[in-house]
Order: sequence, then C-alpha cells, then structure tokens
Amino acid sequence: MPELLAVEGLGKAFGGIRAVDGVSFRIERPGIYGLIGPNGAGKTTLFDVLCGRQAADAGEIRFEGRRVDLDRVHRRARRGFARTFQECRVLLEESCRDNVLFAAQDKRLGREGLQAMLRSGRARRAARAEADRLLDLAGLARYAEAPASVLSYGQRRLLEIVSTLMTRPRLLLLDEPASGVNPTLLNALHDFLKRMFAERPAVFIVVEHNMEFIMSLASEIIVMHQGRILERGTPAAIQASRQVIDAYLG
Amino acid sequence: MRRCERIVTAIFEQVVNGTMMGAIYVLVALGMVLIFGVMEVLNFAHGVLFMAGGYLAWVFYYGLTGSYPASVILAALSLAVVGAALERGVFRRVRTNVPMQIVASLGLILIVQNGAVLLFGPSALAMRVPTVTALVHVGDLSFTQQHFVIIATAAAAIAALAFFLFRTRLGTAMRATSQNPEAARVVGVDPDRIHLLAFAIGSGLGGLGGALLGPLFLIFPQMGDLPLLKALTAIVLGGLGSIPGAIVGGFVIGIAEALSTLVVSTDYRDMVVFLLLIAVLLVRPWGLFGIRVRGEG
Amino acid sequence: MHPAGRAAPWAALAFVVLLYLAPVVFAGSPYVLYILTLTLCYAVPAIGLNLLFGYVGLVSLGHMAFAGVGAYATALLMKAGVGVVPALAAGTLGAGLIGLLVGIPCLRLRSHFFIIVTLAVGMMLYLLFNNLDWLTGGAAGLPGVPRPQPLDLGVATIDFRLSEGFYWLAATAFAVAFAAQYLLVRSDFGRSLAAIRQDEALAAARGVDVFAHKLAAFAISAAIAGLGGGVMALFLRAVAPLSFDFMESINLVLIVIVGGAGYLYGPYLGALLFVALPEFLRAADQLRLVAFGAILLVLALYAPRGLCGLAALIGRRLRHTPAGAAADA
Repeated sequence: MPELLAVEGLGKAFGGIRAVDGVSFRIERPGIYGLIGPNGAGKTTLFDVLCGRQAADAGEIRFEGRRVDLDRVHRRARRGFARTFQECRVLLEESCRDNVLFAAQDKRLGREGLQAMLRSGRARRAARAEADRLLDLAGLARYAEAPASVLSYGQRRLLEIVSTLMTRPRLLLLDEPASGVNPTLLNALHDFLKRMFAERPAVFIVVEHNMEFIMSLASEIIVMHQGRILERGTPAAIQASRQVIDAYLG
Repeated sequence: MRRCERIVTAIFEQVVNGTMMGAIYVLVALGMVLIFGVMEVLNFAHGVLFMAGGYLAWVFYYGLTGSYPASVILAALSLAVVGAALERGVFRRVRTNVPMQIVASLGLILIVQNGAVLLFGPSALAMRVPTVTALVHVGDLSFTQQHFVIIATAAAAIAALAFFLFRTRLGTAMRATSQNPEAARVVGVDPDRIHLLAFAIGSGLGGLGGALLGPLFLIFPQMGDLPLLKALTAIVLGGLGSIPGAIVGGFVIGIAEALSTLVVSTDYRDMVVFLLLIAVLLVRPWGLFGIRVRGEG
Repeated sequence: MHPAGRAAPWAALAFVVLLYLAPVVFAGSPYVLYILTLTLCYAVPAIGLNLLFGYVGLVSLGHMAFAGVGAYATALLMKAGVGVVPALAAGTLGAGLIGLLVGIPCLRLRSHFFIIVTLAVGMMLYLLFNNLDWLTGGAAGLPGVPRPQPLDLGVATIDFRLSEGFYWLAATAFAVAFAAQYLLVRSDFGRSLAAIRQDEALAAARGVDVFAHKLAAFAISAAIAGLGGGVMALFLRAVAPLSFDFMESINLVLIVIVGGAGYLYGPYLGALLFVALPEFLRAADQLRLVAFGAILLVLALYAPRGLCGLAALIGRRLRHTPAGAAADA
C-alpha cells in the first residue's frame, strides 16, 4: 500500500533565508500528527508549501500516490486538502452556518451556476443538518445564524476548524489551533478534534506551541528546527529527547 | 542625402517636443508615485489637481501678479495646501479600503472638473505669457521658450525632490516609511505627518505641471485627463512605487509618443501609449524597473 | 449572508411587475416615460458593474466601454437589417466575449494594477470607437439606427412607433439582467464570489478557483453592460463615442455606489437618481455633477454601502429586535 503523504527534499527560501530546507517525511497511516518547533523553524512555510499557497523551490509532494506539488491551491483543496491559517480566517460577513456550508459546497464553476436553477432540496437539507451537527459538537450551535464577526477570537478559530472538517478532508493542516483560545474552549477543541478524528480518520497535521495540548492530542510528534526535521517520535519519546530540549533552549 | 537630413531634423524636433511633454508627465507621475509609495493610495483625481494648477496660474497671472514665475509658484503652493487638506479630510480615512479610495477620487474628479466649468465656462482659456510667444531657433527648427522653461523647471523640481529625499532628515523618514512603514514607526517616524507631507508635495508637483503646460496649450477642464493617463502609464512602466522608475517612464512615454507621430496619425498617438501600458502590465506587471512583489495565492 | 441574498423572491418579482406597470400609471406623460426609459438604459449596465464591484469587489473604471461594444454591435446589425432580438443578443454576447478576452490577461493583476488596466482598456475601446471611421463612424458615431419592427410576443405586440414600445423593451432587458443578477448572487457561484471579496486566500484554500470565478464574473458583467448599451442605442436611435468615454464610466461607478453596491435594487435606484433627479431639479448639468461628486465623496467616507445600505440600516434600527439585528448584521 502506498503511503498517504510523501514529502521529499522540499525546499523554500525567501531571499537568503531557507525557511524550509530539504524536508522529507512520510505518513503511512491516518492519525493526528503534531508539528512542533521553535519560532522560525519553518512550520507555517511548510504548511503554505504543502497546501500550495507558496510554490516550492525544490522537492516533491505526493498525496495518495499522486504528485500534487504542481497543482494550484484550489486543486489540492478539491483533492481533500484543508487548512486553517495561523492568523485565523473566516468569512466575517457570513453567518456561522453559511461559513460551514460554503466550505462544503461544490466549487466547480459549471455546477455552481446550475445550483441556481436545479438545487436539490434533499442534498441541501442534508448539508445543512450536517453543518448544524458540527456546529453543535463544537459548541457553536447558538451562533449558527449570527455573523462570524460577532464571535470571539477563540470561537472564530473553532468555526474555522469546523469549516475545514465540513469538507471531509483527507489531509487536514491546522496552524496553531490553540493559540488565543481560552482554557475552557481549549478543552472543547481538544475533545472535538479527537471526536472528529474517530468519526472520520484522516491525516491531521497540527502545528502547535501549546505543549500540553499537542502532547495529549497527537499520536506522533514531528519536530522542526531551522527548516529541517529534527526528530520524530511518540509524545513521550520527544519529551524525553535531549536534542529537542536543546533546540528549544538554544 | 536631403531626405536623410529631413528625417534627422524631424526626429530631433520630436525628441525636443517629447522631452518637454515627458517633463510634464514626470511631474504628474512623481506626485502620484510619492503618494502611492508612502500610503498605497492611488489618487485618480491627480489629473484634476493638474488642471486646477493651470487655472490657478491663470487667475494669479491675470488677476494678481502679472508675473508668470510668481503665478507658477503660487499655483504650486496653493495645490500643495489643497493636497494636504485632501489627505487630512479624505484619503486618510480610506487609506486601507482600495475601492473606496477609488470612489473618493472619482468624486473629487466630478467636483473639480465640473466646478471648473461652472466657474470658468466650458471653453478653453488662453494665457499669453512672454515665454510662449518668444521663439528659440535651432537650425531650421523653432521652439517656444516655454518648451525649455518646462524642461528646466521639471529638472530643477526633480533635483530638489532628490535633495529632499536623500539629504534631509524628513526626506529620509519619508523613504523609510515607503520601504518599511512598521520599522519607520518603531524608530519614531509619525506616519500621519509623512502622509500629509507626501500628499502636499505630490499635489504641488501636479499643480506645477498644470501651471507650466497651461500657457503652451490651452487651459480647459479636461486638460488633466491625458496627462493623468500618461503619468499612470509612466508609473506602471517604472514599477508602481519607484521614483527613478517614474522619472524614466515619464520621459520614455513623452518621447515615444512624440516619435510615434512620425509613423502613425496623431489620432492613434494616445492609442500607442495605452497599448504600451497594457503590454507592460501583461508582460512585466512589476514594471520595467520595479521589484517583483509576491502575490497571494 | 450578504444582504442581496436575503431579498425575498416575492419582493423581487413585485418590483419587476411594478416596472412593467409604469407606462399604464404614467400613460398621460410621455416625458416621465422618457425619463424612466433612460433610467433603465443606465440601470442595465449598472447591474453589470454591480455584479463585479458589489459582489466580487473588483473596481472597473472602463465599464461603459463594454456597453459601447454592445451599442455599436447592436446598431450595426440593426442597420444591416437584422431583427431587434438577435441584434441585442449579438451585442450582449459580443461585449461578453470582449470582456472574456480582456479579462484573461488583466485579472491576473493585483488591486491597483487591475484598476489601472481597466481604465486603459476603456480608453483603448473609446479611442477605437472614435477613430475606426469605416466601422463606427468616428466622432460623429452612427446616427439613424432604424426603428425596430413591431415585436409579436403572442399575448401582446410591442409597437416601436409608440414611446411605450421602447419602455417595454428596456424593461424587458432590465428584467433579464435583474433575474440574472438575482440567480447568480443566490447561487453557490455567488457565494464563492462573496468569499473571494471577503478573503481571497481563504476562498482558494477552500477550493475556489479564484481566477476562473473572477473571469466568469467579469465576462458576465461585461455582457450585461453590453445589453444595456444595445438598448441605449435602440432607444436613442444613435450611437456616439462620447456616450462611452471615461467620464461615463465614472458615472456608472457613481450610479452603483450611490444606489448601493452589492444590493439587488441598488443599480436601479442609483440610475433613477442619476437620470431623474436633475431633470426635476432643473439644475445646470455641471452643478448636478458637482453635487453628485460631493455625494460620492460623502458616501465613500461615511456610507460605503450607498442608499440601499442606509435603508437597510434604518430598517434595522426601526425593528430594534436583537434577533433581527443578529440576522441582518
């Protein structure tokens, strides 16, 4: 069986700075993978290159056996890639439900136009029910009708994550989901992610600085340092690793 | 041989004409680029400020001073004040909203252009200053003195701007704001003050252009439209935001369109410029001299 | 959800029915009918620009030039003896095609560059109208566009010897553009466009092909502008380049902004104010435009959503219920 995600020799430089410097790794099984590393280790750039927001200078990305590194962002999204942004992006003018529904809608140009004429009532109702269920699981049910702009920052992060999950992603990239989220909401987020993973196993890669959060969430941790992968292992092994501690302190 | 000589003479004539028009475009383009550089505002009403410069020079010349140089300076200074007021009252509020920036500048175009018609009537005004009637002879050709007044004044304005930007504290602060607003703020540059100053200088340069061109051609409400479009082309050619680029771009446009009249009819002269603009945008959207900026997505 | 998406279908339908009733209401006053017809002639291209500006957030400063393409195509075909419906359809498609061709290179440009290039394209088209004497008649334009033959619609016949005839035609063109706007905005396509306006990077990350969506919107927008131009050519029975110059393109932006960008009824409201108000105020042309310029400035600074936006705001204040506020905001 081919691996789900294979990254080989990936590189991305800005001016003289090599943000991502020859990263290679493989992910064979669905799971929640933590991606940690000190500030400036290249984690967000790696995400940007993985999802196609930035073109790689070198290397190759294969997903489910097919090369994707030449595809543009929306093509990869249609392949099952979904991501959240470090700065948290939601559609502020739309209601929470519409945010979630938009994530799941078929974005192919021809089909979208036809929706105006022949909208299937049953498919619509099913999508709406699913959106409401996810919002409920994330504790956002009472904001379904409210515009996203009224949500707190932490709630917006949750909404962004709910939206990505609505697309039934096969590769989910979460960029610092816990940052700016208060402790109560953090527990809800933790349980929500665990539950969604149990429901539909896929590859979740989570960049996070909150160690407690990521160590209890992830089954495996990948450590990046200075644009390279430093170490990979179970949370317990990583926490004990001398090399990782040095990277964080030095 | 006679034929060859005629061609050289014709080319020389158009190069002088083109340099003169290029100088005007440079004045307009410099103002716009200065403002865009520091605050990312593209003021489409810059053309009507140019036109206002022409009218004000006319008013000062016939109504107040009777001296052309004094009228030009007064017109440019008045426009600088107007520019400062516009920054304060209008563009400071729409700085981050590109569509509303454009809407506001369109509103200004309607107000100033139609206001000029209301005040001065729709027909063109003539401004008979001495330098327009006095001729300079070069071989078989003759140019008005005003041609050279324009070129010399523009050169002086460019030199003064360069001195200001590179040799004074305030100018350095302005360049810093344009290159890295955050860093400039950190070292204590007040961005609002820089924006105000850029708008004042930029609008003043636009007004100067109008006051210079007014006597040579006529003064009319639409006199700023084409210089605006040509200056935009120059700015794009030079890479949106680059001051040396705007200077080179302005002269290139002026000389290129003047030379094009040797080959195509004057009806198509403006079309040549727009084709050039579109072509540059498509092939090198970051301009001939500009630095490429990474786009999103 | 975006305001226009919430507009009730019955209200939109009632609006169109009311439009059709206007000639009955104003049967005794051909002058009012003339004003209303002219309003429709501007409202149709305004719908085109509204799609682009109000929903996708793209500013085009040369949109009347696309109306010009439609106007010249329609006028030339009418002069060649083609029927009114195929002539209008060809004008619409022609403008859409030009929009598509222009859009492919231009939409790759970022914000300010895109605005500049729309301006340049508008000027280019204007210069072509003005200078291609053999095709467009040059600065004098094309006078004497023939009166269309009576149009038999089965239930009724549109007779173009009466001024009502032109009104029906303009109203029908408007209804088509209005319905297209209504359906597009409510469709998933419209949602994608709204997402692009709010956050391009997010839309792309969710699978929207930003470029293709912008291109489709641009071409449709140009086509609708072309339809408006065609109707204008038929109604005024002549085409001249000055109707499609830079100032007219600015006026079109004015109409969309004053009416309310991103609102279904905005283009009509804006066009009505633009055409009708000065006729009733009897003010000098320039004074009117100065006043409109001032309005534009004030709207840009204080009410970027135009009259429809103000109306929605007042409506919310009046209802005053928290639930209503949450649903509307």
